[in-house]
Amino acid sequence: MAIYKRLYRPYAGRYTGHRFRFWVITKSALRTLFDSRFLLAFFVACNIPFVIFLLIIYITNNAAAQALLQMKGSPILIDNFFFLRYLIFQSTLSFLITAWVGPGLVSVDLSNDALPLYLARPLTRTEYLLGKFGVIFMLTSAITWVPGLMLLGLESSLGPIGWFQRYYWLFGSMFIGSLLWIAVIGLLSLTLSAWVKWRIVATGAMLGIFFALAGFGEALNQVLRTNWGHVLNLGYDINLAWFNLFRMDSVTGPYNKPAIGRLMELPSWAGWVSLSLLCAFCLLMLNKKLKAREVVR
Amino acid sequence: MSTLQPDWRKRFSQLRAVVTIEMRRYFFTRQALAIYLLALAPVVIIGLHAITSPLGRHCNIAEDTEILAGIIQLFYVHLGIFFGCLILFTWLFRGEIVQRSLHYYLLAPLRREIIVLGKFIAGAVTTSIIFCVAVSLSFIFMYGHFGPKGQQFVFDGPGLHHLGAYLVITVLACFGYGAIFLALSLIFRNPVIPGAFFFGWETISSVLPATLQKFSITFYLKNLAPVELSGKGLLSVFTVVAQPVSEFIAIPGFFLFIGLALYFACWRMRTIEISYAKD
Repeated sequence: MAIYKRLYRPYAGRYTGHRFRFWVITKSALRTLFDSRFLLAFFVACNIPFVIFLLIIYITNNAAAQALLQMKGSPILIDNFFFLRYLIFQSTLSFLITAWVGPGLVSVDLSNDALPLYLARPLTRTEYLLGKFGVIFMLTSAITWVPGLMLLGLESSLGPIGWFQRYYWLFGSMFIGSLLWIAVIGLLSLTLSAWVKWRIVATGAMLGIFFALAGFGEALNQVLRTNWGHVLNLGYDINLAWFNLFRMDSVTGPYNKPAIGRLMELPSWAGWVSLSLLCAFCLLMLNKKLKAREVVR
Repeated sequence: MSTLQPDWRKRFSQLRAVVTIEMRRYFFTRQALAIYLLALAPVVIIGLHAITSPLGRHCNIAEDTEILAGIIQLFYVHLGIFFGCLILFTWLFRGEIVQRSLHYYLLAPLRREIIVLGKFIAGAVTTSIIFCVAVSLSFIFMYGHFGPKGQQFVFDGPGLHHLGAYLVITVLACFGYGAIFLALSLIFRNPVIPGAFFFGWETISSVLPATLQKFSITFYLKNLAPVELSGKGLLSVFTVVAQPVSEFIAIPGFFLFIGLALYFACWRMRTIEISYAKD
């Protein structure tokens, strides 16, 4: 057998800048994910509501289109509630994508003992986590705040005079509201992915935390005659924060009842606090788990 | 000729062996911890209620009966048992594939249908026992703290009938959801995502046309409930009231549903091939 002398040859390619090394993890994970045609199809389908909302904005602000459709004015009012509905709709889809993608991101590295291989390279634990979180951030941003800001931009340009002056703050609300949601579901899915070895169980746990915890909170409310059980309902918490961000106190619902009334059982700070605590807990758990160590049995 | 006849006694003893082995595993796994948590969480709240309201100081039996009905029909049937079965039944085969141990069963000289049925029976019995204990404890705490008034309601009133109906609902829910999740786990690599869609279907089933409602588990279980829940929330506005079916149709109909799901699971199992590297 021929034996060739192998000498050390340093990497000759272009180095990624120190600040963007996490991007390598994100890029490679995204490439792997989009190998699945099913995910690609679902991702494209997630943007169908965007097209529908876009058409609604266009038709509402275009007299010629209304005349063509034989409409006498638009029945839909484009205000903060309109954009909140868009965010609620898209966040549900982004939750499904995260529940699908998120649980497999870290668990694969941990179950195959690949984490030391990552951390042996010039990559910190924070950068590793940032790289994994980047995958969820990219996927969910593409269906939440990016198209949301485009819709707002379109309405600002096509809408009646004074619409932008009245609702300019919606740009910030859409961005911060989406970021909050992405942070919550992203960190939760990464934590479950790190702590639960198997993907199936992690996906189940993610659904369980969202739905079973909400049911438990409702049972708590009924039995103990309180409203504070709602803080266990992550959907309720995010709604509290969004209602606050989208200034829903000023919008009236059907039959002149304030739309906020349904959620008035708890103050909006309760939503912010419980979501912040959840994010902090997730970061703590990730910090505890993501360590480069070898378990010798 | 006699060798071609199926040896039912042998098959039954094989089935019993599979059930015994599996049941021992399911009661003491990490997944079981999550099921215990789901089952016992309402018991803790009701226990707290019993402590804070001795002899029904801040509540009355009628109100608590409706709350218990809500907890069993909405929390247990819709969430607790649903997710408990999702955890356990999707793990029956997927877990073995992930842990690379399914081939031990497949190499054993027993029919694949027996493996499916054995695992299903073990899972259904395990979840039924856990959730029946939890429901019974919830019932005891809910009426126990009323003292003599509670005793009168249970033993001289409709209490025992309510408990019986709740236990039947619990067992049927475990068997029904179990059969569905077992079948799903043999089709999909990650059965939790279709499970989420099934959860959505079960949630909106009450607003679907009456014919479609019959394709949900909750439709049959709702008919067996002793206390009808007053509709609240957005879904109640759109609720379509389907013609109720009697117990004599609901229970056999339900078992037919379970039988079909199990038949499909057995059929799927006969042709299944495992590739650990792929899964």
